[in-house]
Amino acid sequence: MAYGMHMELLERELFLAELRGLLDQASDGDGWLAMLGGEAGVGKTSLTRQLAHEVDSSARVLVGACDALSTPRPLGPIEDIASSASENLAQLLRGNARRDEIFRAVLTELSLGPEPTLLIIEDVHWADEATLDLMRFLGRRIGGTRSLVLATYREDEVGSTHPLRIVLGDLATASNVRRMSLPPLSERAVRTLVGVRDLDVGALYNRTGGNPFYVTEVLATEVNGIPPTVRDAVLTRAARLSEPARRALAAAAVMGSPMEPRILPEVADVDTVAIEECLASGMLRADGESLAFRHELAREAILATISPPRRRELHSLVLARLRALPQSDKDVAVLAHHADAAGDRDAVLEYAPAAARDAAALRANREAAAQYVRALRFAKGLPDEQRLALLEAYAEVSDLSGQGAPGIGPRNEMIVLARAIGDRAKEAEHLSWLALSLSTAWRTTDAERAMEEALAILADIPEGLAHARVYSILAELRMMHRDLVPAVAWGERAVDLAERFGDDLTLAQALNSLGGARLVGDDVERGRADLERCLDIARQVGDEGLEAGALADLGSGLSEVYRFAEADRYLCAAITYANEHDLGLLDFWRHWAVAWLALTRLFQGRWDDAAEHAVFVLRFGTEAADTSETPAPGVVPTSFQNPSYVKIPALIGLGRIRARRGDPQVAPILNEALALSPPSGPFQFLGSLRAARAEAAWLIGDRHQTAVEARAAYDVVVRQGLRWQAGELAYWLWRAGELTEPPATVAEPFALQIRGDWAGAAAAWDVLSCPYEAARARAESSDETALRLAWATFDGLGARPELAAVTQRLRELGARHLPRGPRKSTRANASHLTAREMEVLFLIEEGRSNAEAAKQLYLSPKTIEHHVSSILAKLSVSSRQGALAEARARGLLPQS
Amino acid sequence: MARYLVERSFPDGLGIPVGDEGAAACLGVVNRNGDNGVTWVHSYVTDDKMKTYCIYDGPSPEAIRKAAEQNSLPVDKITKVSVLDPYFYR
Repeated sequence: MAYGMHMELLERELFLAELRGLLDQASDGDGWLAMLGGEAGVGKTSLTRQLAHEVDSSARVLVGACDALSTPRPLGPIEDIASSASENLAQLLRGNARRDEIFRAVLTELSLGPEPTLLIIEDVHWADEATLDLMRFLGRRIGGTRSLVLATYREDEVGSTHPLRIVLGDLATASNVRRMSLPPLSERAVRTLVGVRDLDVGALYNRTGGNPFYVTEVLATEVNGIPPTVRDAVLTRAARLSEPARRALAAAAVMGSPMEPRILPEVADVDTVAIEECLASGMLRADGESLAFRHELAREAILATISPPRRRELHSLVLARLRALPQSDKDVAVLAHHADAAGDRDAVLEYAPAAARDAAALRANREAAAQYVRALRFAKGLPDEQRLALLEAYAEVSDLSGQGAPGIGPRNEMIVLARAIGDRAKEAEHLSWLALSLSTAWRTTDAERAMEEALAILADIPEGLAHARVYSILAELRMMHRDLVPAVAWGERAVDLAERFGDDLTLAQALNSLGGARLVGDDVERGRADLERCLDIARQVGDEGLEAGALADLGSGLSEVYRFAEADRYLCAAITYANEHDLGLLDFWRHWAVAWLALTRLFQGRWDDAAEHAVFVLRFGTEAADTSETPAPGVVPTSFQNPSYVKIPALIGLGRIRARRGDPQVAPILNEALALSPPSGPFQFLGSLRAARAEAAWLIGDRHQTAVEARAAYDVVVRQGLRWQAGELAYWLWRAGELTEPPATVAEPFALQIRGDWAGAAAAWDVLSCPYEAARARAESSDETALRLAWATFDGLGARPELAAVTQRLRELGARHLPRGPRKSTRANASHLTAREMEVLFLIEEGRSNAEAAKQLYLSPKTIEHHVSSILAKLSVSSRQGALAEARARGLLPQS
Repeated sequence: MARYLVERSFPDGLGIPVGDEGAAACLGVVNRNGDNGVTWVHSYVTDDKMKTYCIYDGPSPEAIRKAAEQNSLPVDKITKVSVLDPYFYR
């Protein structure tokens, strides 16, 4: 397996053919992104190299790779291709241009002609956050380029919580993205490789699983017997090299990728002969100007044999040599890595913060946070101010307060340091951030105490921005527990102070808290105005997270007060925004908005859509909440408390849909939502979760449980003045026979129903466009027309339990021509008549005019005309009589 | 993954043509099911062909419904079931 020899790849022709085909299409102006997955050692790199070799004369080939470093270089693969790409891209990278400029330059690069471009990006499972965002960016726009971007990744390393998983999910719905999975070799292929050698092919195949790297390592060692692991195979091969060559290998293993070949001889204390020997043996290969191991698995195997002290020594040597290189060739991320591994405190403190700033500039926040964590590990003995500055920088890039428990340790440290340097304003601010972290970890009592301490300090210092910030957080805390009156009060004070002291970001955050509190308190106009103002500021200052958050908060807030049409618009805007900005840090907002969209569409009767949204959010695994108080080093910061919190609205939505449909597996879903909720105390979803559980209990006929669930939240929600949630809970208590009078603070439609005015309630629900609730109100009557209308609606929605109840009621009333079961819904589905259209059809059958139908359904005559036209079109008839005849023929209406 | 019993009603009576056309129709159903992670195990049909009871393996009721919609098949009721075999207990 000497390098440079053109290998005939076994069983890869189909893949190569497919990729060549994609490149041909790219040549015609139809670009593609191919994601090539496979286990380590399965030959992804061999395939890409073979492809590059084959198309070399007809395409421009650019190759970049992601580093196997704990803190990979931000946009490392793009750095790799810079020298082969056009001058513009290289300049932008050198000149620290803004991220979106670089992204666009890459896109331009991929559209150059006349030949198509093949851009290979290897090992994207190690990609830094900026590169992942680039993949999202490219994935959506690749079709317009003249390129094939081929990204490889280790499938087995991309679990459900891996950042690449979300990117792959995104790309799944993009056009011009192809996913391919490279399988191991078959036994026949292994047999071919073994050739005439004296080896038990079956045993080799079983041991290696057909993994090409493993197989070829074994074959290269030329020993009898099969080494038990891939590692052993590699080491056996290495053992045959001379001692200098083995030193070179060890040094190369420590250097890792990207490897700087100039310094290898010095670090290993060998001459070039030894390195040639490594190349000749195939353990190292030349990669353009640089060197690399034949495979990362080989490097890992060698690395494992180096003792820790020797490793530190080598890292030290590498660091020294890298530092001696000219400035332009230095990469602070790589230097920080070696400094850390060498245990060189001064070097770490020199390079890690610089690397962090570089990464942050490119929005590779994960990597920035990891660099700060690295610096902090070596920060003992630093003056307090510097230490505090590092911690604050870390907090900023990792959204520490949103993380809950892992934010507590660092924040406590910041408080101690602020106190030590006598900065009272900072002390108060950090205390309030701590309160937020404690609150999101559901340690409410501790949070209150921290906040009280912060307020006590503020009382002693002249009013300033610190006050504005702390009050803003206090408003947020109150909001989280739906303590709305104080939330609004503190929010108003925060806004006032932020305006007075002229700080835009603080003002925006204060408006966010205030607006949110007003919205869910049903002060819709003012709440919306506040949030719109927050949105404006966010746009002005260019804060994407704040903008996405404001849109999502507008959506969720409006949804909570049953303004579903408007909520839908804002939520869609938030999702579109997050999609268009290709920022990993917006993923949280996207999932949050989609989860809320599920709830919103549930109430709008769009159950298929709602279910799909819920399933989307639930599909991405979220790790169990990190309850440790210090973040694990290099941890992936995920925004927002318990990262599973975002699942709660999705679970409520899906649970309600299943319950209303009469589908199985309702309890597991709603129980999971309960398990994810804070163990005690009011919180955002207390009311709606208990209402969902009450409804589920009702629909399976468990009256007692309905009351139990409703009681669990009723008093709190009434006291908090949450009219809609209180309304629904009161409704369930009423149906369960435990309530006769609605309390004062209850939303109108529910109040009407409890007082027995089903018609008024139905009308109110119609205005809100809640077909299920409207039908449910009508179903409480004894009026045959209303019951038939309800029947039609339930039938159209597929609400089996309610449908059965209404059918029963109609029978009890002695109604004739009773619909005989699900027949109509299936036929209606086939004719694609909506529930509303079915209602209109019923009324036409009863001989009502458009005006009469309009009155009955609380619609305008114009809308009725609209529906009639739609019915005629769907049934392919030209008159109302024709519609009736056709509907009877199709079984939508009973034969008269 | 779970096993589901899906009840369907066909007011006109279910008609699956015999021969190649029928086979193609069934295989079309199988392929679309695959897209949703749903496997059609088998079905029981009443003599008047107005009702079927279908056994499916799938990840969720929603996947069953999505596959049904793509195949233009009605869904009356979905029940989660487990297999019980007379020879299960020996």
